[in-house]
Amino acid sequence: MDKKNHNIKEKTDQIVAHHGASVDVVIPILQDIQQEFNYLPSPALIRVCETTDITPSLISGISTFYTQFRHKPAGSHRIRVCTGTACHVKGALFVYEAFRRELKLNDDEDTDASWIFTIEQVACLGCCTLAPVVRIDEMTFGHVEPEHVGDILREFLRKKKDNHDSHTSTGILSTDTQGEIRIGLGSCCVASGSSEVKMQLEKTLAQTRIKVDVQQVGCVGICNQVPIMEIIKPGENPAFYARIKPEEVREILLSHFKPTGYVNRVKTGFYSLFENLLADGAPKSFRKYLEEQRDTPLSRFLGPQLNIATENRGVTNPTDIEGYKRAGGFESLRKCLKSMSPQQVIDEINESGLRGRGGAGFPSGRKWQMVKNQQNREKFVICNGDEGDPGAFMDRMLLESYPFRIIEGMLIAGYATGASHGIFYIRAEYPLAVARIDEALKICKEQGITGASIFGSGFSFEIRIFGGAGAFVCGEETALIASVEGKRGLPRMRPPYPAEKGLWEKPTLINNTETLSLVPWIIHHGAQAFSKIGTAGSKGTKVFALAGKVKRGGLIEVPMGITIRQIVEEIGGGIAGDLKFKAVQIGGPSGGCLPASVADMPIDFEALREAGTMMGSGGLIVLDETDCMVDMAHYFLSFTQNQSCGRCTFCRIGTRRMLELLEKIRSGQGKNEDLLNLEKLAHSTSKGSLCGLGKTAPNPVLTTLHYFREEYEAHINGHCPAGKCLPLIHYIILDECIGCTKCAQRCPSDAIGFSPYEKHTIDPEKCIKCDICRQICPVDAIIIQ
Amino acid sequence: MPSSFNNMVKLTIDHIHVEVKEGISVMEAAAILGISIPSMCFRPGFSNHPSCMVCLVKDLDRGNLIPSCAMPVAEGLNILTSSDEIKEARREALELLLSDHLGDCEAPCRLSCPAFMDIPLMNRLIASGNFEKALRVVREEIAIPLILGYICPAPCEKACKRKPIDQAVSICLLKRSAAQYAVKETPAVTDIPVRNGKKTAIIGTGPAGLSAAFYLLRSGNECVLYDQHEKAGGAMQYQIPLDQLPTNILETEIGNIRKMGAEFRLGIRITSELFQQTILGKYDAIVLATGNMTENLTDLFGIQPDEHGAFINKKSFTTSIPGVFACGNIIREQKMAVHSAAQGKMAAREIELYLGLHKQKSVRDIHHKSISAIGHLLEPEWAEYLKESIPDHRIDPSEENLSGFSRQEAIHEAKRCMHCDCRKPLSCKLRLYSEEYDANRKRFAGAERKPITKEVQHEVVVYETEKCIRCGLCVEITQKHGESIGLTFAGRGFDVRISVPFNETISLALTKTAAECVEACPTGALAFKEKEERNL
Repeated sequence: MDKKNHNIKEKTDQIVAHHGASVDVVIPILQDIQQEFNYLPSPALIRVCETTDITPSLISGISTFYTQFRHKPAGSHRIRVCTGTACHVKGALFVYEAFRRELKLNDDEDTDASWIFTIEQVACLGCCTLAPVVRIDEMTFGHVEPEHVGDILREFLRKKKDNHDSHTSTGILSTDTQGEIRIGLGSCCVASGSSEVKMQLEKTLAQTRIKVDVQQVGCVGICNQVPIMEIIKPGENPAFYARIKPEEVREILLSHFKPTGYVNRVKTGFYSLFENLLADGAPKSFRKYLEEQRDTPLSRFLGPQLNIATENRGVTNPTDIEGYKRAGGFESLRKCLKSMSPQQVIDEINESGLRGRGGAGFPSGRKWQMVKNQQNREKFVICNGDEGDPGAFMDRMLLESYPFRIIEGMLIAGYATGASHGIFYIRAEYPLAVARIDEALKICKEQGITGASIFGSGFSFEIRIFGGAGAFVCGEETALIASVEGKRGLPRMRPPYPAEKGLWEKPTLINNTETLSLVPWIIHHGAQAFSKIGTAGSKGTKVFALAGKVKRGGLIEVPMGITIRQIVEEIGGGIAGDLKFKAVQIGGPSGGCLPASVADMPIDFEALREAGTMMGSGGLIVLDETDCMVDMAHYFLSFTQNQSCGRCTFCRIGTRRMLELLEKIRSGQGKNEDLLNLEKLAHSTSKGSLCGLGKTAPNPVLTTLHYFREEYEAHINGHCPAGKCLPLIHYIILDECIGCTKCAQRCPSDAIGFSPYEKHTIDPEKCIKCDICRQICPVDAIIIQ
Repeated sequence: MPSSFNNMVKLTIDHIHVEVKEGISVMEAAAILGISIPSMCFRPGFSNHPSCMVCLVKDLDRGNLIPSCAMPVAEGLNILTSSDEIKEARREALELLLSDHLGDCEAPCRLSCPAFMDIPLMNRLIASGNFEKALRVVREEIAIPLILGYICPAPCEKACKRKPIDQAVSICLLKRSAAQYAVKETPAVTDIPVRNGKKTAIIGTGPAGLSAAFYLLRSGNECVLYDQHEKAGGAMQYQIPLDQLPTNILETEIGNIRKMGAEFRLGIRITSELFQQTILGKYDAIVLATGNMTENLTDLFGIQPDEHGAFINKKSFTTSIPGVFACGNIIREQKMAVHSAAQGKMAAREIELYLGLHKQKSVRDIHHKSISAIGHLLEPEWAEYLKESIPDHRIDPSEENLSGFSRQEAIHEAKRCMHCDCRKPLSCKLRLYSEEYDANRKRFAGAERKPITKEVQHEVVVYETEKCIRCGLCVEITQKHGESIGLTFAGRGFDVRISVPFNETISLALTKTAAECVEACPTGALAFKEKEERNL
């Protein structure tokens, strides 16, 4: 024990030595301690207090505020079950419960008896199109079904073992290339198996000695078709291959390229002869789309989109600075530094009509002007990448795929406002985004794009990364600042605004990731090109994470003014299955549910606000008739309630009481007066809360009460029309049952007895409503009543 | 920027234009105009990160509600500090806080006592051997403790939170012990103030009449008591068997009231004529405490019924004749003498108001309801409440019941009391504002309550976590004074708690800041072990 403590002390001292002893580095120190020990051992925390200016009060306050930090040891592997909106509507809680059963966890446990797995729910892994999603360590599993969680754990452990045994893949070097292959490596792609595809690709290339450039590209946005691969060959139209399986890679390659070297060619020909005869060139399991083909699902998905923040999507390697420059990268920065005064830059932004993409839509030019007008010598620019909405992953994609564009946007903002320091605030759940920005920043530094006197202009700017430790409220700018200063992420009163008194009391510009990513385009094409797009009050484009019950989900960038219906029906291809389009949830936990009947509303800051919701950061979840609106309101409110910082009365207690009322209603125990009380509380929480989180938290409740009140009333009468709310539903087996016993075999609570060849029945006393039987029944004989 | 201290800004508060120094808050600017805004989490010189939201005011130009404690004044601001909307918002903030504030403003025993006697305080004084002060506490609410110590059916003991754990504290006998073992009588009895010139008459010498006399005499009034019987005491003299109430006990209490200067006119049956000729108009106030009446009040005293047919107002004890009050069984038959005694006391207070001896009701009179109450203890809470008690079972008097406790037994039994009452009844802002804004603790009551904990290791301070409203003043105080352990916020959101870092004890947390923390704490969460008291 003493030895263990000694080790903890030693490691802690190293970490402290690395970060220094000042109060503001408490979060990075805690992050490193957790990285080292998998949790925060008390002796380590005590040691930090002994060796730094950090007090017990501070370290305890911080380490219990941010969800990233654990105070109990964890198992060797972390299972993160995504309970983001898209996953929620596709049954994430069933998956979570199934894992808990599989690991035999008691109510208050999160780690199995052998300390192998620790399970937790996370707000959003940003793979909404693969919902429900589970990540175990760095391995992501999509479309998880509750009955297969055991298989997933076994597969994970097997792969983990294989990875240790197998060789690490070598990179492909080539000079004389036959073409280029682009492979998407966004988080969704990786989750859907693109790493395996890439591994197979490299293996095949090595075997066949086909010489092509393999470009890893960021998120392509077509998340519904991943893994995706694009083949570009001189003299041929580019070809997209969607939903590829590793075993198909070889065949695709060979249909475009010839192996080099005699021996290889023969061997290849020999082995693939039989297959080729059968498959007639193209395997049937994957889809090949040529770019010029007009009426493919792909062209319909991409057609109405307009790429500004996501310009050159799927073309450039995220950290290939030369590629970025070839596409005009850093020209806008150069233009600003060489030929525009800071005021001219701000005027340009003002004229473009750009508004903050973080949710509230404050005019960006005005914000920049406020910071510029401050007389301080020291000013900061912060890129807010603390995207935390369940069901939103725009920032993550932008940071992962276009790091240089955002850096350029930040540099322009820094020049315009007179700032000298920039900070990327990126949430801890986005390790890839952090890695990409980090790499891009290193490259920029080397090339003199950041640092002293950029492009010889005399403008100097340094940028660093701050890893958020997991608190949704830190998306609020004053809370974000508190967090960077090493405090609990509590929003404070505005005024004073961060533009006047921000980080370390200095004028600070905080812009959302997407906002900054639009800046280079505006400078390059001019304000008018941008303001031509959109509506009277909302200019340019907006990136949305389209997910839910739509046929084609993904990351989309659309012009402002496009209608919700166009997004759902044209881009998304309408509702999957034969179900009816019921509503969209827009704006995440601060937004609301709009019914299909108002879907012709344009995407516009004001229009959405008038409808009771808001633009939010860009989550757009499509709901069908099997989705319960009371459940949705409950879902979002439980998120915000859980994420409240706990400072002001209305948010801390008001959201909790609202949630309790919703729980009562959802379980059929509600009364009419509960509905009135809920509405009352929603209004007063909105009015009386200090920050945006509390002020907008009631929106999901208020919009559903407004547009779907009859559903609330149905629950009060003991009925959930959509069949979602567990206390109000029963599973029953219809006469169609063929007696296959599959349900009985899989039922985790022995609620279904074995009766081969006969109709099965469910014991309602034993049924835990895990939904496995209904999903597994081959003849759809199990229904919810 | 020193210039900010000199710059003045003009703003409007409640339609009054005012020019104030830049940098101060709207709340401070309002105070300059003499407008006071309620607040719980504000403390001058602190960071004043708004939390309680009881100080909401309205920004008339923007139309939103803002916490005035943290809102800096600004040129042209137009603020409203009072309206129905603001009142409602403040009330809701208080109601939400109450829904998460677990504790009893008043102990259940005291609330169930018809005379509202401060039982827990009496118990603690007895436990410390201070019977004199215990008796003084009792006499604040009960004029005849010795008598009631024999005959009271003790509804308080039915409400005692100790009852489900083992047995209720033997409150009734402890009250008798207070009267028995106090070496000196209370100053109420011994040191009668200078007469104020007001003359009162009381008809009837039962528990209601004697009690009214006690409190009227105590505040300097002259008092004449009439009774149709030869001996004073009413039903207590003639209806209660001797084996329940020995005669000498009754005589002692009546003797006390006589000592205080009461004049007893016994054996006089009040007829209509007698009343009209010798009583009505001859006294500044008259109390009818005759007990059950067979005669009609109109015939006998000339009292007319009000529009509801009632002869006596049950709240103010007034009748249709100015200056004539009535209390006790004359209103309605009471089964418990303590009820009549309580009414006699309250009638006396009403008379003092009527006579202009006080301008308004005392805080104590308003405080009769418990703003916050938790009901039954949850089982895990038993151990927490027993921390300030002893585990021993209830003592039954060693001899037969009439003798009561010995002095030592009384001290021991009193130690069984668990201290359910709030220690800061006078300074708790949640209670004060909740009363002012008429907040209802049940309006937003939560689904289920958390178990209460009490941290009692500190020498002088008790920390009751569930009474905390998370304002964080104590955390800031400990930081400011460099407590090496101090206090911290633990967790986030609804579950955030003020706790001691690294699971240390509260004694280590508050080594030099205990008094300041207790003083700053807006509720009874951090309190001295000794309860706040008025000077008795």
